[in-house]
Amino acid sequence: MENDKNMPYRKSGKGAVIGKKAIGFSFDGTDYQGLEGDTLASALMANGVHLMGRSFKYHRPRGVVGAGSEEPNALVTFDRGTGRVTPNVRATVLEIFEGFVARSQNNWPSLKTDIGAFNNTFSMFFPAGFYNKTFMWPKSFWDKVYEPFIRNMAGLGSAPTEADADVYASVYGHCETLIIGAGPAGIAAALTAVKTGERIILVDENPVFGGSLLSAPNDEIDGIKASDWLDKSVKILENAKNVTLMTRTTAIGYYHDNFIGLAERITDHIPNLKLGVSREKLHRIRAGKVIIAQGAIERPLVFNGNDRPGVMLASAAQTFLNRYGVAVGNTAVLFTSHDSGYAAAFDLADSNVRISLIVDARNEVPKDIQTEAAKRGIEIISAASISKTYGKNRITGVEVYVPSTGEKRKVNCEALLMCGGWTPSLHLWSHSKSSIRWDDNIAAYIPDQPNENAMCAGACNGDFGLRAALQGGNKAAGGRKSYKVHERDFGTGTTFVNLPNYIDASKQKAFVDFQNDATEKDINLAVREGFSSIEHVKRYTTIGMATDQGKTSNLNAMQIASKAIKKTVQQVGLTTFRPPYTPTTYGTIAGYRSGDLFEVERKTPMDGWAQKRGAVYEPVGVWRRARYFPKVGEDMDTAVARECKATRDSLGIFDATTLGKIEVVGPDAAKFMNLMYTNPWVKLGVGRCRYGLMLGEDGYIYDDGVVGRLAENRFHVTTTTGGAPRVFRHMEDYLQTEFSHLDVWLTSTTEQWAVIALNGPNARKLIEPFIEGIDLSPENFPHMAVREGKICGIETRLFRVSFSGELGFEINVPSHYGRAVWEALFEAGKQYDITPYGTEAMHVLRAEKGFIIVGQDTDGTVTPGDAGMVWAVSKKKKDFVGRRSLKRPDLVASGRKQLVGLMTEDPNVVLEEGAQIVADPNQAIPMDMIGHVTSSYWSESLGHSIAMALVMGGFDKEGENIYIPMQGKTHKAKIVKPFFYDPKGERLNVV
Amino acid sequence: MLFNQDIEIGAALQSGDLSVKLMEEKTRYSLRIKPNELAAFKKASGLKLPAKIGKSTRTTSHTYLCLGPDEWMVITTPENSNELRVKLEKTAAEFIYSYTDVSHRNVGFVLSGKQAASAINIGCPLDLSLDAFPIGKAARTVFENAPIMILRTKTAEFQLECWRSFAPYICGFFDRYETDISAYISE
Repeated sequence: MENDKNMPYRKSGKGAVIGKKAIGFSFDGTDYQGLEGDTLASALMANGVHLMGRSFKYHRPRGVVGAGSEEPNALVTFDRGTGRVTPNVRATVLEIFEGFVARSQNNWPSLKTDIGAFNNTFSMFFPAGFYNKTFMWPKSFWDKVYEPFIRNMAGLGSAPTEADADVYASVYGHCETLIIGAGPAGIAAALTAVKTGERIILVDENPVFGGSLLSAPNDEIDGIKASDWLDKSVKILENAKNVTLMTRTTAIGYYHDNFIGLAERITDHIPNLKLGVSREKLHRIRAGKVIIAQGAIERPLVFNGNDRPGVMLASAAQTFLNRYGVAVGNTAVLFTSHDSGYAAAFDLADSNVRISLIVDARNEVPKDIQTEAAKRGIEIISAASISKTYGKNRITGVEVYVPSTGEKRKVNCEALLMCGGWTPSLHLWSHSKSSIRWDDNIAAYIPDQPNENAMCAGACNGDFGLRAALQGGNKAAGGRKSYKVHERDFGTGTTFVNLPNYIDASKQKAFVDFQNDATEKDINLAVREGFSSIEHVKRYTTIGMATDQGKTSNLNAMQIASKAIKKTVQQVGLTTFRPPYTPTTYGTIAGYRSGDLFEVERKTPMDGWAQKRGAVYEPVGVWRRARYFPKVGEDMDTAVARECKATRDSLGIFDATTLGKIEVVGPDAAKFMNLMYTNPWVKLGVGRCRYGLMLGEDGYIYDDGVVGRLAENRFHVTTTTGGAPRVFRHMEDYLQTEFSHLDVWLTSTTEQWAVIALNGPNARKLIEPFIEGIDLSPENFPHMAVREGKICGIETRLFRVSFSGELGFEINVPSHYGRAVWEALFEAGKQYDITPYGTEAMHVLRAEKGFIIVGQDTDGTVTPGDAGMVWAVSKKKKDFVGRRSLKRPDLVASGRKQLVGLMTEDPNVVLEEGAQIVADPNQAIPMDMIGHVTSSYWSESLGHSIAMALVMGGFDKEGENIYIPMQGKTHKAKIVKPFFYDPKGERLNVV
Repeated sequence: MLFNQDIEIGAALQSGDLSVKLMEEKTRYSLRIKPNELAAFKKASGLKLPAKIGKSTRTTSHTYLCLGPDEWMVITTPENSNELRVKLEKTAAEFIYSYTDVSHRNVGFVLSGKQAASAINIGCPLDLSLDAFPIGKAARTVFENAPIMILRTKTAEFQLECWRSFAPYICGFFDRYETDISAYISE
């Protein structure tokens, strides 16, 4: 099917896709035909299409440079339907299928006619650092004018606007040997490692194994064709039980202790796959040993006009021919400084592509290569350069320049192949913090000392050629095999930092980093402007940054910079490689952890009841708690006022399960409690409770909660909801370090108990008929006591405590009976108009009583003294955590912020929580702020708003007026004691 | 009163390759003993506590797990609850130790089938190959953001326990995983 009218550049008999099914696909709205196994790049070029994108900054027309994941230019938007649009995908790795749709990006109105290309015309005004320098003034223009403009002009594809319709997966895995890259080195390593019987994982980012073998089918290994050797080897590995083979899987990052991230693309190449199946999967692999066989990337030459569509790496042209059966043009020129470039030209020539000319920058070309070229009738010009390229959206010719004679010559071509040597891929090796060293022979960095149990094999180790790759892979896996290989000699090359040109340097456009649109000039400018560190040059010019990570540009940039800085390349150093190796979707990084699985949302056993009842929830830590229970037509304020009133008048029921619970057990339990809390515990009687206040080492309030003593050696400690894990760690930390001499153990029992809080004058009456084994009479079960018995036939720890100021009980029952007990009590409570209330009403009820909430009325800088709670601090105890800090001069100084109550002049004004407080509202701005509001509510019981606030020297200001400037109005309030409701606590004793 | 763990397991999680079952009501105690008193304590209490972290012993009615240097978990059925409690209280006079009822703190799952280990490995970073994690091995570990405890009971069977409010989160992962494996197998 040579010169098929649909795919005029398809070559018969070449490439693995030949003979495969023809498929239809669409690019920029035009329908094309490709073959199964094609990438978008190979299929488009089979149709003669090279223009695939516009460049990042100058909107220059761009085509394909490479043939794999190193591609910096041909970035497209891959469209699989609504919510399944991926921008910035490299056309060279994008597999097409029937119905495949992609489009170009960063252009308007179209790829061929892009208005943004005026940036190119005026590119002399857009040097590196241009934006930073130009768009400085006026400052107010930045947000509204400059930044949106720059963001619109610069950049690549558009971020998707729809939520991702796909789902993703993530797993952990383990193996003794992980081999990254399944070219000849990786496969040779796997063939050797498989014999150990240990777990081997072999991964490759391509859809098929083989790497460079796929581009060089004429080579021979152990007497058979390379392609046959590949098939045979893969079969051996497929049949081995201890080997896991993974294609379409990229090792994206190498982390501590041989922890490797592998991104597997599962479904992108499958047409019409139903939603719900994971699109990509992140494998988090812990490997005993890692063999990196990433290969090497060919280096572009840096010359004027080297970014025109049709200019590409020689090896890429060879791959398109040998792997995909695609000629990159009917006529081509090769521009090289390395012997290996000739292989591509010769393969193309042998497939009837006319090689118009070979331009070798070097003075000498090896004799055998000259012979090979002569055999094919190809002319070579040595010691020459290319001074410019012709064409608009596709190269049409080159100008060859011979500096020694000054001769210039125009040669027509449809493609220009370039080869500037090879760069071993050190990305993963460098992620692992292994060291590298400069190798003068290949003018590149190569691996030096490993930092993990890892080694490099093949081209990424600087060992080029098929035989070297096979031997290297074999050796890395512990083998000693010697391969018999027939291959074209890889040869050597010379590095040219500046290629000769007669055109003034300032008028040239010699690109170093295609993706970031950075030229040789930009690097020289950066150095002239005083950036002498390669890391600074990188940031100033953006070379080697972003998704590309300098795959094709790093070494050229470094060598240009080193010449400009006048230091050796070793002194200039190399910029840091960062994961991921290739662009990776957020979906892959999130894996299964999206939607409901993004974060744990803890629910209490009674949560389902609250949901049925129409509760509105709020998150507290990672718990979700019912905030209020609105009746039809109620807003939050109305519902909360009703819930508060019902509780004070009769009976409220509240889910307090989320309170942290820690069981402190052992003969030294009381001693330990004495050290962890400010209060005294030794004399607390069995069956009694005490409010406990916990400080940090700094003397500030850390947590609080009611503690019940169940036995001489057993305490039931409660903590705040959000503080539970922190308090447990804090206690365990002290127990294991400072107080390890104590015989006491801690067990988290937060989830052992469901807690039903009943508050209100009818609380006792409700539970009385359900209780067994506990005398509820006030004489025998006073406020702040705990008893063990049964409720509704279920064992209970019954606390008589109150966070509302009403008669209150906290009923602890084993969690999985919580819902049943709650429902039984609620049913029976109907005679008392029992009302479920949420956290908002709970907050109001406690604020009316002046009870603090740690983290709301305290902020980590409040001492017990500041909070008016010296009563909770034992004066007799010789030690407890935070005791020494309480004597610090600044903690006993006068004028500290102290917790007071506020009564607004206008009873209907509810202050903003967090609002600042001033003494004089007429003071010039900025006023002196003397404190802030910590809690503020409407109190239905009092018919007045109430607030708590931290105010400087607040205790001495009782009765004084202060002011709270809020939006629109400044409010006046009086400082009062923070006990608004039933200050004497008589309601606790209702019989 | 109704015992209600309030956890739904996806209907699809009952296939041969991956079955996830919620365990019925269990009695669980967390024991803390000084390691040097273990031998004497075992003799006095009759509890078959393993001596090494990560080991377990199982009788027909009881499972004993050593989860830390001085920490054990005993799991049994509610019928044995009283007997266990009596044993623990009896020995309290002789030994310095702690026992705490955590029966309802945890919920337990039995994962079985050839995908059982893989299903745990979607969120748990431990190596669950038979060599590294043989039958009888137990570990306190994590499943993504949830703390869990796992015990291998058979080649292709694990007991997984977590605090009750973390269970729906973990089950959500198993549901997603099941969707994936059934899609790939039918492919």
